[in-house]
Amino acid sequence: MKRYSTIALGLAVFATGACKDNPVANPIEAPTIDALGSLTRTSLQQLTIGAMAQSRSETNNTPHVIGSGIFARDAYRIESSEPRWVTETLGGQPDPGSFAGGRGFNGFYTAIRAYNTILLALNTAPTALFTTAEVNAMRGFIRTQKAVDYMSLIALRDTVGIPIQSNAPDEVTPVRCKAAVLSYIAALLDSANADFTAAGATTTLPVTLPSGFRTFGRNYSTVANLILYNRGWKGKVNYYRGIDRSNPTPSLFPTAIAELTLALGGAAPGAVPPANFANGPYWVFVPGGSEATPNVISENTIGLNPLVGDSVQAGDTRASKIVTRAALLEGQGLSTNITYVGAVASAANQARPLPILRDEELVLLRAQAYIEAGQLANALADVNSVRTNYGLLPLALFADKQTAINAVLYEKRYSLLFEGPQRLMDLREYGRLNATFLRPETTTDPFNAALPLPRGELDARGVTTNPACTP
Amino acid sequence: MTRIRPFVFSLLMLTLFSASAFAQNRRVSGRVTVEGSGEPLAAASVSVVGTTIGTYTDDQGRFSLSAPDGPITLRVRRIGFAHKTAPVGSGDAEVAVGLSRDVLQLETQVVTGTATTVSSINAANAVTVVSSERLNRVPSQTLDQALAGKVPGALITQNTGAPGGGTQIQLRGVSTINAGFQPLYVIDGVIVDNSSIQSGLNTISQASRAGNLAQFSSTQDQNVNRASDINPNDIESVQILKGPSASSIYGSRGTNGVIIITTKQGQAGGKPTLDLQQRFGTARLANTLELRCFASAADTRAAGFDSTGYGASTNKCHNFQKEFYGEKPLNYQTVASLRGGNVSGTTYFMSGLVQHDGGLVNNDFYNKQSLRVNLGQPFGSRLKFNASLEGIHTLTNRGVSGNDNTGINPLNAISATPPHINLARNPDGTFPRNPINVVRNSNFFQNAELIKTPEDVFRFLGASSAVYTAINQERQTLDFTLRGGIDSYNDHAEIISPATTYIEQFNALPGTLFVSDGKVMNATLGASATHRLIRDVFTATTSAGFGQVRRNVDIVANTGRGVFPGVTNVSSATQIFTNQTQSIVKSSSFFIQEEFLTLGERLLVTAAVNSERTSNNGDAQKYYAYPKFSASYRTPTPNFIDELKMRLAYGRAGNQPTTGKFTFLTNLVLEGVTGFRASTVKGFPGIKPETASEIEGGFDLTMLTGRARLSATQFRKQIDNLLLQASVAPSTGFSSQTINGGQIVTHGTEIELGITPIQGERFSWISQTTYASNKGRVTRLPVPGFIPTSGSFGSRFGNAFIQQGQLVTVLQAVNGCTALSSTGTCPAANRILRFMGNSAPDYTMGFSNDLSFGPVRFSSLIDWRKGGLGVNLTNNYFDGGLLADTAVGNQRLRDFGAGKAVYVENTGFVKLREITLGYDLPANLTGKLFNGGVQRARIELSGRNLKTWTDYTGLDPEVSNFGNQPLGRFQDVTPYPPSRTYFLTINTTF
Repeated sequence: MKRYSTIALGLAVFATGACKDNPVANPIEAPTIDALGSLTRTSLQQLTIGAMAQSRSETNNTPHVIGSGIFARDAYRIESSEPRWVTETLGGQPDPGSFAGGRGFNGFYTAIRAYNTILLALNTAPTALFTTAEVNAMRGFIRTQKAVDYMSLIALRDTVGIPIQSNAPDEVTPVRCKAAVLSYIAALLDSANADFTAAGATTTLPVTLPSGFRTFGRNYSTVANLILYNRGWKGKVNYYRGIDRSNPTPSLFPTAIAELTLALGGAAPGAVPPANFANGPYWVFVPGGSEATPNVISENTIGLNPLVGDSVQAGDTRASKIVTRAALLEGQGLSTNITYVGAVASAANQARPLPILRDEELVLLRAQAYIEAGQLANALADVNSVRTNYGLLPLALFADKQTAINAVLYEKRYSLLFEGPQRLMDLREYGRLNATFLRPETTTDPFNAALPLPRGELDARGVTTNPACTP
Repeated sequence: MTRIRPFVFSLLMLTLFSASAFAQNRRVSGRVTVEGSGEPLAAASVSVVGTTIGTYTDDQGRFSLSAPDGPITLRVRRIGFAHKTAPVGSGDAEVAVGLSRDVLQLETQVVTGTATTVSSINAANAVTVVSSERLNRVPSQTLDQALAGKVPGALITQNTGAPGGGTQIQLRGVSTINAGFQPLYVIDGVIVDNSSIQSGLNTISQASRAGNLAQFSSTQDQNVNRASDINPNDIESVQILKGPSASSIYGSRGTNGVIIITTKQGQAGGKPTLDLQQRFGTARLANTLELRCFASAADTRAAGFDSTGYGASTNKCHNFQKEFYGEKPLNYQTVASLRGGNVSGTTYFMSGLVQHDGGLVNNDFYNKQSLRVNLGQPFGSRLKFNASLEGIHTLTNRGVSGNDNTGINPLNAISATPPHINLARNPDGTFPRNPINVVRNSNFFQNAELIKTPEDVFRFLGASSAVYTAINQERQTLDFTLRGGIDSYNDHAEIISPATTYIEQFNALPGTLFVSDGKVMNATLGASATHRLIRDVFTATTSAGFGQVRRNVDIVANTGRGVFPGVTNVSSATQIFTNQTQSIVKSSSFFIQEEFLTLGERLLVTAAVNSERTSNNGDAQKYYAYPKFSASYRTPTPNFIDELKMRLAYGRAGNQPTTGKFTFLTNLVLEGVTGFRASTVKGFPGIKPETASEIEGGFDLTMLTGRARLSATQFRKQIDNLLLQASVAPSTGFSSQTINGGQIVTHGTEIELGITPIQGERFSWISQTTYASNKGRVTRLPVPGFIPTSGSFGSRFGNAFIQQGQLVTVLQAVNGCTALSSTGTCPAANRILRFMGNSAPDYTMGFSNDLSFGPVRFSSLIDWRKGGLGVNLTNNYFDGGLLADTAVGNQRLRDFGAGKAVYVENTGFVKLREITLGYDLPANLTGKLFNGGVQRARIELSGRNLKTWTDYTGLDPEVSNFGNQPLGRFQDVTPYPPSRTYFLTINTTF
């Protein structure tokens, strides 16, 4: 009997031991966001690169640079296998279910989630590994990047509005109207600026930024330069808040001018050296290798709207951006024989960097703000500094605001060709995206000004069309 | 767990001390022989009915046991024979029993738990048992191929005709959409891995994401599933638990059914028996497509083909299919096994296998070597140890087949290459360049010569068990079993595509090298206690225990682009892509089971519950219960019926979530630097297993003194909590999340009929017929209808589609057009999507017949699959081009353009799966062989897949481009053609 008891006891001990085995197996296939409890310099570096790669990917997605160019009558994309490049842009409404409506949205929110994840992780960054100044500098940078993606989102959605993402991953937040979104972006940029102030101008980011943020005239690894970047965006946001056609706030123009001037290193109107025009952060593309991310503009089915070629002024050296196509691009009632120099499919163009916000845009934005603030002479100085840089004669003082707007629109079109939705935003706010100012490109041209919310977002909200936005 | 443990423990203690002893005071001995021939029957089990007393016969058929006083009844059983009971009077000490052969396999032991079995006479489930003999009648490359046509309710598909496996078994229909879909394999109580490691074929086929140089795998890679490593010759029997009503003991691995393999064991006291089996065989191309014939460039031009760049005419019309797939390999299989035991109870079984199967293409082959040792050793009268160890090595070179986007697939290249072009090797060893640009100048003869696709696997399976008999009394036993095992393998796969081939010239960096190393380990550990209590009116078997399973996977795959010819070191590549996959899954479970046999062994009632937790569940600490209830009743019958058993079983099993619990970080590369962001697939912390509940009922009828048997089963299987991808608002930063929801209900019928129309001394005929049908329907779906994430080529050709109210196996395709364009084509917007029907067969039947005329034996197996739809994309490659019937091809192409589902075809077939003619050498001849050392010798001629009858227009209605997915496998894309195999076997027993 004793023997049985020993055996039974042995088995019981064995059973107890077995059941005590820790049943939790952490996934080792790939790290999870739960694994970010404690930030290291390496993990911060990788998370920053991951988030920025996501921003680049969506910025390089078709609606941002090509779609907005088509809406703004700078570009055509004609493809027999993909007629929706015309039917959902110049020929009809974009469909939220696919293609146009479905793009330029999800990826930015994925990037914003990534930025939010970093911001949460920074709250508990170990003081043994990071100085407080580094954490502040990093927080300021991440907040600025997040603001940039929100700016891209609202640029494409305009009055439709967009949601502001919550830190709770399950929360579907209300769709906020444009004014509320711009005000949120402005606040975000200000809090980032406060972070920079707390960090101190000499602090360096604890991560290595991609070359596009280091080598185009200015290295944004230091807080001093990040402040310029941040204020540039803030000036841009305040200008568009000021001119917002549905909710104008003229009092913001002087603020915008001050912020843009700060971003331009305090340069007086007309005094920004042309050598600085190209300075700014860029997205750099690596077409081959494991990265395999070519610049999407490098595509032979893209052409320039013939108007771009027709209205370029004699002697404007920016005409070099316009090249004659090897073959006519035509179909669906449209045709063009010119294209953007960077659109010609080639390895070099696939690697062509895309500016994010460069000084030339800031100069022209300041000119726009001066126009709205009634300071036409200052506006003229900035406009002329750009014109003369491209072989054109300086203009005489603008007779009126409309003349000034015409002048600045011309400069923006050719300076920022295929650099993003700048012209689309301007045409909208100046009330010029309509048949009064523009010729219809097709018989059914709806003069689209914005993309709808994508189908997935509508489905999640239980609606089939854009819901009314919350002010 | 804490509440359960004391309960189990006290139950054990109770049974330990409640036993009362019975007197055993006389010896009964006797002899068991084969009825008719009088041949002694070794290893027969002899037991005293109503007690636990029992023993086995020795190799002279003799036994001896101590029995209680008074009249007793002995029950004598042996596998392959019908059991018999023999009364022994109180004064008798000697008894003789003759057993008759159980040709229809009426009696086997069926697994009911981790440590329990029950005689099939009482079993409450329709468990199919395939014996070693039926399994190995015709040589097959792998175990799963050997099961084809023998298991009602099993749908066996192959992803390629290439040598060496790639077979999927689906039991009782589709059981999942996104979770694991393969049955669980268990050998001698140890879980055996049946995963497939990526072969890297996508690096050169670019079947998926063409142009993405880093993409090395896809579901179209024709991977080998690792169950193919199992050596069918070592198997004593295979039991197939087809659904949750039988497999609930396997918890969250049981949904897809369980294939339980028992390997051969030696026999205590038996004389050593040496079996030598030598097989020689060959394979032949079974089918080709009828193609057009042009003997010259002029002919080709005249037929309307663009002849730019065509090479010099050979003035010969080549049949590329026959030339390329024309290898006549010499296949062989050598099996040696030694089994026996000694009087002290040691048993052993050792076996070795050397196998080579050549393919239809130069350089394609499948080689396998294995060595197994099974040992048993008692220690004292109460303790018995068993251990087994098997080492397996397989090496395959399966060439390239299936979908591609590079022209590397031979059939793809053949579809574009006019037959007058000479591609044969030049005298200097070089190969001509194929002038056809669309297939990247692919010369398939050159590819077969230069491109290597070796996959080298070393595998070790080890298992051991200890059984301690704590109580061994006349009417009560208590056994404790401890069992553990490890299955571990290393899979080294390479793709070597040298920069010298014509197709590589189309890559920016010619020369591709893929090297992958995978380590997979499965460990199983379990302990159980089984108590058997025999009373006059009942026998109660109580068992309880616990188990643990752990699975580790670690695979590193490197792809190199731009590799020097001859270099096989991936670090020398110009550009290198690295990928690593790792996972750990830990599960633990405990169970308790009661089997109650009463009413004169007529009624068997079983109740059990298995509780299991696994690290893949959202809550890794939570136990999920998988209960089982079943009852069988052998009804009293009139004289002409031997036996009628009614049975009813209910059980629940699960299917573990594979991913979905966590939000992973996805890596992205920015300017060459790798970074991470949260995946767009959001983790679901509440994720739980899919659950399948099945109710199965039926009857087993035996008539005409065992000469006829009919077994019929009806089941209803309901799968709940399906793992589904649900969309989420993209503004959250995520696009989807894995959720539990939805339901599939499958109904099915399985019938087995066995008859022995003739059973004489010299001549016998045994006929077995199986029938199975099942249909699964999506009865609830909380997400919008969707195309499963499995691969397809779009709705114009046909794809799977999941929609509430539809069959889960429905095939959806564009078929119809609201308005044709002026050119007769259907614009994309006007195409009408329709459900075309069921991709799974309406029913399957197997007809097996064995005829013996004295020493001559003839057997055949016919496999019939009625109905079922597939998509024949291979036709699309040839239509409007080289298909011989140009009118049909052109019309099909026009109809396709007009929006008709012309490539959806009926894939029903009848196949002559196996055929064997055997001859037993007469005793006077065998007696002269090897100085009389040979006991038996047998010669067999056999063939596999010799003939197919089908309306299907492709090469083989069974082939599937997407093997590794539960749904939508039905795509036929330029596959490796099927082969007929022939074998000559010489079997000698020493």
